Amino acid sequence: MNPVIPAPVPIPLPAPVWLLEFLLVFTFVLHVVAMNFLAGGVMMLTLSSFLGRHDLQHREFARRAARAMPPVVAFTITLGVAPLLFLQLVYGQLFYTSSVLMAWSWLAVVFFVLLGYYGVYWFSLQQDELGARAPWVILATTVLFVFVAFIFSRNMTLMLRPQDFYPLHLRHEVGSVLGPVTAPGLARLLHFLVGAAAVAGLGVALLARTWRTEAPELAVWARAYGVKWFMAGTGVEFLVGLWFLFGLPQDIRAMFLGGDRLATALLVIAVVLAMLAMVAAKRSLAAACVAIVGTLSLMAVIRHLVRVAYLRPYFDPRTLPVQGQWFVFVLFALLLVGGLATVAWMLRAFFHPAPRAT
Amino acid sequence: MNYPVWTPPILGGGMIIGIIAILHVFVSHFAIGGGLFLPVTERKAYRENNPALLEYARSHSRFFVLVVLVFGAVSGVGIWWSIALVNPEATATLIHVFVWGWAIEWVFFIVEIAAAFIYYHGWDRLDRRTHLIVGWIYFGAAWASLFVINGILTFMLTPGRWLETHSFAAAFFNPGMLPSCVARTAVAVALAGVYALVTASTVRDVALRSEVVQYAAKWLLAGTAAIPIAGLWYISTLPPAARDISMGGAPAVTIFAGLSIFFSAAVVIFTYFGPYQRPRHFNLTFAFLLAVMALSSTGVTEWVREAVRKPYIIYDYMLANGVRVDDLPRLRQEGILKSALWARHREVDPKALESTGQEIFRAQCASCHTVNGYNSVRFAVKGWRWILIDYQLSHLSEVKGFMPPFVGTEEERKALGAWLATLNPTPATVEIEPPPPGEKAQVQPAPSSGESKP
Ligand code: HEC
Repeated sequence: MNPVIPAPVPIPLPAPVWLLEFLLVFTFVLHVVAMNFLAGGVMMLTLSSFLGRHDLQHREFARRAARAMPPVVAFTITLGVAPLLFLQLVYGQLFYTSSVLMAWSWLAVVFFVLLGYYGVYWFSLQQDELGARAPWVILATTVLFVFVAFIFSRNMTLMLRPQDFYPLHLRHEVGSVLGPVTAPGLARLLHFLVGAAAVAGLGVALLARTWRTEAPELAVWARAYGVKWFMAGTGVEFLVGLWFLFGLPQDIRAMFLGGDRLATALLVIAVVLAMLAMVAAKRSLAAACVAIVGTLSLMAVIRHLVRVAYLRPYFDPRTLPVQGQWFVFVLFALLLVGGLATVAWMLRAFFHPAPRAT
Repeated sequence: MNYPVWTPPILGGGMIIGIIAILHVFVSHFAIGGGLFLPVTERKAYRENNPALLEYARSHSRFFVLVVLVFGAVSGVGIWWSIALVNPEATATLIHVFVWGWAIEWVFFIVEIAAAFIYYHGWDRLDRRTHLIVGWIYFGAAWASLFVINGILTFMLTPGRWLETHSFAAAFFNPGMLPSCVARTAVAVALAGVYALVTASTVRDVALRSEVVQYAAKWLLAGTAAIPIAGLWYISTLPPAARDISMGGAPAVTIFAGLSIFFSAAVVIFTYFGPYQRPRHFNLTFAFLLAVMALSSTGVTEWVREAVRKPYIIYDYMLANGVRVDDLPRLRQEGILKSALWARHREVDPKALESTGQEIFRAQCASCHTVNGYNSVRFAVKGWRWILIDYQLSHLSEVKGFMPPFVGTEEERKALGAWLATLNPTPATVEIEPPPPGEKAQVQPAPSSGESKP
């Protein structure tokens, strides 16, 4: 049976596909960095909050680190808007179909994120008042965000398999599809979550630098603790990554094992960068961060190549008509530069305030 | 037609969007008005050297962050999520037309969020001038994001010259864009007053409370004063058919339009005689009451704005069920099952007439009707024999101007009618004589009289 795939919208794309895909991948990297801080951050907070019942160091750490979380949630959500926008533009007919098929759980994402967000605020503003309940609040928050990650990874996997759409549609009420949860599907989810824990460890080590004057002891401890998470997480990530790789369909896996020179090279460089980051982490945080951002970016490109490979038999966006809206695009690019400069100015003012003139 | 149709029971997809959207509108306009209220109030406190007022602004900013950054942002995402699930074809179309508009809005969001956090955490860290500048940056970015999304929203009702040119500029600067932007800005100012009344009513110090309550009431009154003018201007840009719907064409819509005016007037009167004239007697209960009235006003207004767009989702271009106007002739000829990708029957199956009919309902009607819940079709055809149903189906858009015409072949129409006839027990008495064959045009069976269009 031929797969049932909706027809794309009969309106030309407002820019060439390469540009849209570049923006898709680029903004996804931004989102993923914030998302890693969030997902890994709530995991670390949960652990420290439980340990903090008997361990002062962990308690103090949870209290301080929690304060950084609300902006992380805000930016994870906002930075996620752009990649989803470009995804809908280029791959809309696949994304909408898979979303509609799993509509109930996809819509639940919104409520889970809302609850999780308030959970983060509750924990960060009222840890002391919550007392013994605090660890449970942040644990529940973590579970909510893990659900969100799970549903996202379901949808992003399902949209790559249009051959499953119609059979699933026949077997399920529209909106209630969620499965089948396969081992490779689980590997994909774990790959994201373990990676998030590792990157958040590095984030904590960075965050600790801002505590150096107020709490020098804690700063030293938190830095070492964050690096520990980073090392452990990255170590496990190599194994999960292998599992993920070997769970991919044979032809796609082969691309990364020599079949396609570019794909193989990207994967090798990404892994080498991660190793370098591990080597550097204890000595130079900055170097480790640069290396790991490199890994994340390459992994985002690899993810894109996997998507294209999955969809090759069914859909190639390069066949869509294009009619550039260049004027508006340039306006967007200029505003982006201006906007980022404004944010940079505000951050500078915040972190290096002039002496108060009252 | 192109996409599988999700049919949430009772509420229906439209209602799910509606609930999320109304809550979002109520908060997101506060995100803009409140963004103006904060730096203006802060500056006022500096000028008058009024530390108590400054302290109020500061505590208001915390409330602001918790409401706006969390609920405002997530519910905005929620609208996007729900429209993609309920109207994927229209969402895809909007994204094709406006992707750079949304990308620009996204830039403003980033600035907005960064500014909100820095403003909120910056009360002690930043000097007065810088703190105020950050407040103004927040407001600028928030208003700019309204400016952008407003153009996309009004496009759906008044696409204007885009229908011919298909250019971004024509789509964005559509006839409804400017008046709606002014109206929404006014609503934002009014809502800043509503929320400020809520926080003001919790201030402990009596003198300060009276001062702030009265001050917040002024915001509310100033905002609402501008709404009618902008509103009339906006209404003047609407397509005539849409205006008719709100002014008698459809009783439910007219009632809601009346309610919108009623609630807004109630808010104004209540505010004038309450917090504005007697600020000392104002308390949290009153504030909540006022907030509920304002929410009702926002809710019914947005509902009317959505309702008058029917039968279109993008006026003159796409119908509410995702069918493009340009495709109508083809669908009439080929039938709709051929294009309904997800239907289990690809042509009318005489042995399964009723289940074929149900598929047709899903593809064509389920975007506005549920079977048993909101705008229930079971209820709509109650007491009708199939022959009346069939007559109505052939004149759907004439009987009710806000319904799209039935599209499809005669066989398909009969199948849909057969399914509709199974929804209720066959009526025992014949309430309306079916028209004799061949004389349809002379008979006007209009069960809900006064609503038929010539
Ligand atoms: C654009 C949205 C929309 C679509 C699509 C739509 N309807 Fe309706 N329909 C309405 C509304 C709104 C009403 C009026 C409800 C009321 O008056 O309370 C209505 C009323 C009806 C009624 C009652 C008419 C009467 O005279 O009382 C019937 C029957 C009906 N619809 C059948 C259908 C069928 C069958 C389809 C699919 C072919 C369909 N509708 C598609 C919006 C829609």
